[in-house]
Amino acid sequence: MANANRTRVNRRGFLKGAATATAAAGTAAFTATVPSTAIAEAEGQAGGRAAGAGTAPPPTPAQIDRDAGAVQPPTVAGPAVVRPGSDLMVDVLRNLGIEYVAANPGSSFEGLQESIVNYGNPPNRKPEFITALHEESAVTMAHGYGKATGLPMVALLHGTIGVQHAAMSIYQTYYDRVPAVLIAGREENFIQAHTANDMAGMVRSFTKWDAQPKTLDEALVAIQRAYNEAITPPMGPTLLVLDAPLQKLPAGDRRVPDYRPPTIDGIDSGLAREIASKLLAATNPRIAVGRLRTPAGIAKAVELAEAVGATTSTAATQGPMSFPQRHRLCGAGADTAYDFTLGLEAPAAQVSINGPGLASIVAQRDPNNIGFGGITTSGRGGGRGAAAEGRSITADAEASLDGLLAEVRRQMTPERQRTITARAAKHADANQRLRIEALKKALDVKRAGWDATPISTARVYAELWPLIMNEDWCLSSPSNFSGGHHVDLWDHNKPYSYLGGQGAAGMGYGAPASVGAALAARGRNRIVVNVQTDGDLNYAPGVLWTAVHHKLPMLTVMHNNRAWHQELMFLEYMCGVRGRGTERGHIGTSLRDPFIDYAKMAAAYGMPGEGPVTDPVKLSAALKRGVASVKQGTPYLIDVITQPR
Amino acid sequence: MDVKRLIASLSGLALVLAAQPVARAAGNPATGKALYYEYSCYACHGYTGETGARAFVGNKSPVLASEEAFLRFLRGRATLSPAVSSTSMPSYGASSLSDQKAKDIYAYIRTFTSHAPPLEQIEVLTQILKAASKVP
Repeated sequence: MANANRTRVNRRGFLKGAATATAAAGTAAFTATVPSTAIAEAEGQAGGRAAGAGTAPPPTPAQIDRDAGAVQPPTVAGPAVVRPGSDLMVDVLRNLGIEYVAANPGSSFEGLQESIVNYGNPPNRKPEFITALHEESAVTMAHGYGKATGLPMVALLHGTIGVQHAAMSIYQTYYDRVPAVLIAGREENFIQAHTANDMAGMVRSFTKWDAQPKTLDEALVAIQRAYNEAITPPMGPTLLVLDAPLQKLPAGDRRVPDYRPPTIDGIDSGLAREIASKLLAATNPRIAVGRLRTPAGIAKAVELAEAVGATTSTAATQGPMSFPQRHRLCGAGADTAYDFTLGLEAPAAQVSINGPGLASIVAQRDPNNIGFGGITTSGRGGGRGAAAEGRSITADAEASLDGLLAEVRRQMTPERQRTITARAAKHADANQRLRIEALKKALDVKRAGWDATPISTARVYAELWPLIMNEDWCLSSPSNFSGGHHVDLWDHNKPYSYLGGQGAAGMGYGAPASVGAALAARGRNRIVVNVQTDGDLNYAPGVLWTAVHHKLPMLTVMHNNRAWHQELMFLEYMCGVRGRGTERGHIGTSLRDPFIDYAKMAAAYGMPGEGPVTDPVKLSAALKRGVASVKQGTPYLIDVITQPR
Repeated sequence: MDVKRLIASLSGLALVLAAQPVARAAGNPATGKALYYEYSCYACHGYTGETGARAFVGNKSPVLASEEAFLRFLRGRATLSPAVSSTSMPSYGASSLSDQKAKDIYAYIRTFTSHAPPLEQIEVLTQILKAASKVP
């Protein structure tokens, strides 16, 4: 399957003739170095590197405005590179629809960064440079953005050190099968420790594809291919290593290469005919919907369920891109004796259509057999999906839906349509009744500890819901450590309602992923809710500054239990196993002596907020202030002292 | 009693109080309160015994029916050796938690009671139910 995927992409003629030498490793073969004449040319045009510049003065207000993209760049007087290669790279990114490029600065990509912030009219727009305070955060922003949209954003990484800083986030993005395009700058003639012959080799085992182009022409095409590989199942992060001189070479009369989107294969017409026939012949069909790739896929899944009058299951309470939870057909329905079940990226009793998993690319991407857990050649692997109970078809489910819908329409008869309409109405009534019954039970459970101090996590989610239920919202943070109360209480009806877990259960994810989700929300009248565990935030709190700096609609509600609580429980258990008592189990697992003041932390980064909130009666008002703030585009943090879970 | 059988018999049971017959609790609840925090019992059972997956309030478990059953439960887990990390109830041998301390904790646990208002008195929850009742 991996080979088939690569064949599909290669069929487009990308990088003709360049990819043979290292194809077994899944690496495009841009292995030669940039000619020394080109380097000399680039350095000459750039006027050489300034040396001994001394301490830089503080930025002026005008410079700050410019950094925020608030002003047009001044007209440059005197000699300058009129059209550097990096300008053309920005054109390529713009044509691909890349909205954001996140990075903390690095000399190895200064050419590209300068083009992003200065080139175009207006400059620094689509893509906009997002200032990150850590490479790990930059990549996790892309991770969160990719989950919210199904599309890649870009993160820039500075040389060997930037790639290594980013490695954990790249791993999580890979494990989560989320598209992202990473560009690492490579500068051979500056700081030797920051360069390497094969920079991508450090993370090859957990990236989808990588390349190190040797010419500007190759680089432009490689950006397009990095994008296409990222969005082709199994989706994942791709890494392009761009030599600094390529960014500074004159573009000359080059143009943006023609772009062709990838061809993603679904089931063939014969299978579509067969499955459509079974859906229509069934007296009570059901469709299990897992995680699709894009919002467009979800819309088609809804169309299919409605067309055949099937009840559905959804993964929308576990992650993004699944069937709307409160759609009238979503639920067990009026009759649970299903006589045909179809799985779309989900197991099913009869037929399931599952796209290729990470296991399909392991042989190419993990030649050293590091062997990341759960990604096996026999299973789908990669953190989601599962083997079907019945017949499993390896094809992208989303790409199969057009064919299925066409067949359903072709085979539809007026009699069938009447039957389906009547069945759907019964299912809708039953689903609404089941929903209310389940909700009543859930509410009875959630009221436990309602007035307790510290505040119950159920109350946090319950108080939030009425404040956002009529908004366009996204719950960006994993909820597995916070009780997951939204699953019962909230309605997950959008592709991005809940973005799910960390990918590989790595910490330091919640806040930067929320910033990525908030980038996807900004300008779209959407707000992002980040119920943030305290241990997780302390990995990369600098992203709070990024949220403020870029005016992101992100509400952070601290689930502050003053511990890495899961680990506290693990250690307590181990203490017990060894019979030594649990009274020291908090050592190394809790955040006390002193307690961390997160409202002050937020304030230090310029983010308005409040807390610690310990009185449950005061919680609702604080949340209202928070929601009002983010609706105005100002991120806000509320430190809530909570029960452990 | 075979430890594995004991564990098996108790697995799946939350450590919770409910409408159990009130057994004698000879321990000191005030001392037990301090021990409840010192031994991080709150970590799984909540600060007030009302919250979390292993809340004390509102459930039924035979291991809390009496002081003796409680002690037997704590001790009975002592030989358990996990193959993987676990958030299950730790074992407490007598060397790490004396009988008196265990009785004090038990006495404190028995003081837990529900403070949750009835559902209809919680405006936010009734608001959620009302909103959900609207047919989409």
